[in-house]
Amino acid sequence: MMSRGLLKSAGALPDNGQDMPAAEMEADFQRAAHTDCVANFLTELLLKRQLRSGGWSFLGSRQSSIEATSLAVLALGLGAHARLSGIAHLLDSQRPDGGWPAFVGDSESCWATALALCALNATGDFDPARKKALHWLDAERGREAHWLWRWKFRTVDRNVHFDPDKYGWPWGPGAASWVIPTAFSIIAIKQYTVCNRDDVSEQRIRVGIEMLLDRACVGGGWNSGNSVVYGVSLRPHVETTAIALLALQDEERSPAVCTGLAWLRNRAASIESAESLAWCILSLFVYREPVEQLKRVLAMKVGEGLGVQNVATVATALLALKCGEIIHPFVVLR
Amino acid sequence: MNLDRRRFVGSAAGMAATAGVAADCLWPKHSVSYRRPRSLVAILNAAEYSEKTEALLMDGLRLFRFSLRGKTVLLKPNLVEDLPEPVNTNANIIGAATHCFLRLGATRVVIGEGPGHQRDTELVVDAADLKPHLADRRIEFVDLNRDELARVKLKANYSGLGELWLPRTVLDSDFVVSMPKVKTHHWAGVTLSLKNMFGVVPGMKYGWPKNLLHWHGIHESILDICATVPIHFVIADGITAMEGNGPLQGTARELGRIVLADDPVAADATCARLMGFDPHRVQHLSEGGRFLGNLRADRITMLAERIEGPIRPFAVLPEFHYLLARTVL
Repeated sequence: MMSRGLLKSAGALPDNGQDMPAAEMEADFQRAAHTDCVANFLTELLLKRQLRSGGWSFLGSRQSSIEATSLAVLALGLGAHARLSGIAHLLDSQRPDGGWPAFVGDSESCWATALALCALNATGDFDPARKKALHWLDAERGREAHWLWRWKFRTVDRNVHFDPDKYGWPWGPGAASWVIPTAFSIIAIKQYTVCNRDDVSEQRIRVGIEMLLDRACVGGGWNSGNSVVYGVSLRPHVETTAIALLALQDEERSPAVCTGLAWLRNRAASIESAESLAWCILSLFVYREPVEQLKRVLAMKVGEGLGVQNVATVATALLALKCGEIIHPFVVLR
Repeated sequence: MNLDRRRFVGSAAGMAATAGVAADCLWPKHSVSYRRPRSLVAILNAAEYSEKTEALLMDGLRLFRFSLRGKTVLLKPNLVEDLPEPVNTNANIIGAATHCFLRLGATRVVIGEGPGHQRDTELVVDAADLKPHLADRRIEFVDLNRDELARVKLKANYSGLGELWLPRTVLDSDFVVSMPKVKTHHWAGVTLSLKNMFGVVPGMKYGWPKNLLHWHGIHESILDICATVPIHFVIADGITAMEGNGPLQGTARELGRIVLADDPVAADATCARLMGFDPHRVQHLSEGGRFLGNLRADRITMLAERIEGPIRPFAVLPEFHYLLARTVL
């Protein structure tokens, strides 16, 4: 267990600790130490679950998932051998078209390209691979972006309320745009083009942002992709809202952003699952909302990792618990 | 030749029908047929979810006399969102079914689902109150959205998809039980045991929702999936059903029935009749009746209660008024 001094120097304990009642200080110390222990345990869990290939699968199989691998790479500390072999695995599994499949063995590039690019962005290296990924993302778009479908959704098929001129990225080829793949694509492109913006990418970012704003739920937040179907408002999801807000972190605080943030802030205290709570913490943190209490709740929920089977959840929880201690993997500095 | 117009139209229609039959023979859309001479269906009356459900279900299952000794049973409930009743298959019935199948000799019971909207499966499992039923070590929950996948050539070709990646847990199961919630559906008309199989299609490959299937046609995709992953048994939760703008935003409808069947088409046809719909007007049921099971009432043996009228039809969106049966029975 870490000493109180170490915790204090790491920012886990407040500087004015001597003004606090002893019992309260002790409780804070215990909670911070517990959070730290849980983070260590999750790191160990990730290391144990790494496949020989260097990748990670979601559950217990040997089929490496690009989503799980990208999140695990981001969650492991700089210089860790497992992280390096994870990155090597990502580089090996990039497809000739520049994209990544959902899992190794699949032959189609998909939305996971955005997460893999985020993982490589965090290294600041591997520019050729990142450039190819950017080109794939620049070219990929939701199926409704085609003029024929735009016309159909504007004229004869109006059961789902959305503006078909505002499109983003699909989960996979042949499908329409949805919030999570669009949000991750925007983050990945924004991160990669911080110092080398180009017109194509900027245009895709702009239309993608417009799509996210257009698809926001009526009362704030985001559902998987639609806001109103058959005249009925859909309710927002925590994870989708958190990830959409991450993509909008450096945008103007429009009403959709403000209501989405307010909804997430209000919902935070009652989130019951580790995965959604972790994404909520990662999102609120970039909006400078307090997250320490939520981190403690997450640490309690995750406990010693026994209840969490999904590697992507383990990695996201680890990232959330380390919020403020490491560079935020989805931060955009433009 | 001197043909009048009526005879010409009649002849043309006849030729078109003949050509259609010939095309089906030459290029059949399905390479399998699960339809048997007769199918068995049992409608069980149940006014509420209670501790008596397991005994009721056990009595109902014994009517079918199947042997499960040494088999792995996959229960595929309909768990869509972290929303309250009546969106998801009720945990009381899922729990009862797991215990019944173990008592009937199954070595292992797996509850498998890949929620179609909510990416956070833990939230859905929590909301469905399923966790208390997972305490028995012989019962396991598998998130089909994130399971190991295998590429499978589809055994029907209505959607044009050709192949799908499907979860190992599903492919390795000996006995697949579809456990739908009886609901209306704003794209497919109804969501019953056949539509419920959308949940075996993995989100990690096809996304949340599984939008590619919509682009390839919902009815067509249902037929292709169910031809490829045969359903061995159905337990449909119709105690509290959903009408109106289903599958998420409809309203609860107390139907008070559990429908058991050894044939998914017969099960869905029976549920549709209980809902006051003509099953022949549900596209995937009508076509599924050609090879996935029996649609016609005269090919279905009722083991327990009968469908007795008059039936108050389920409310539907205006787009689905055509589903309503003229004579409801």
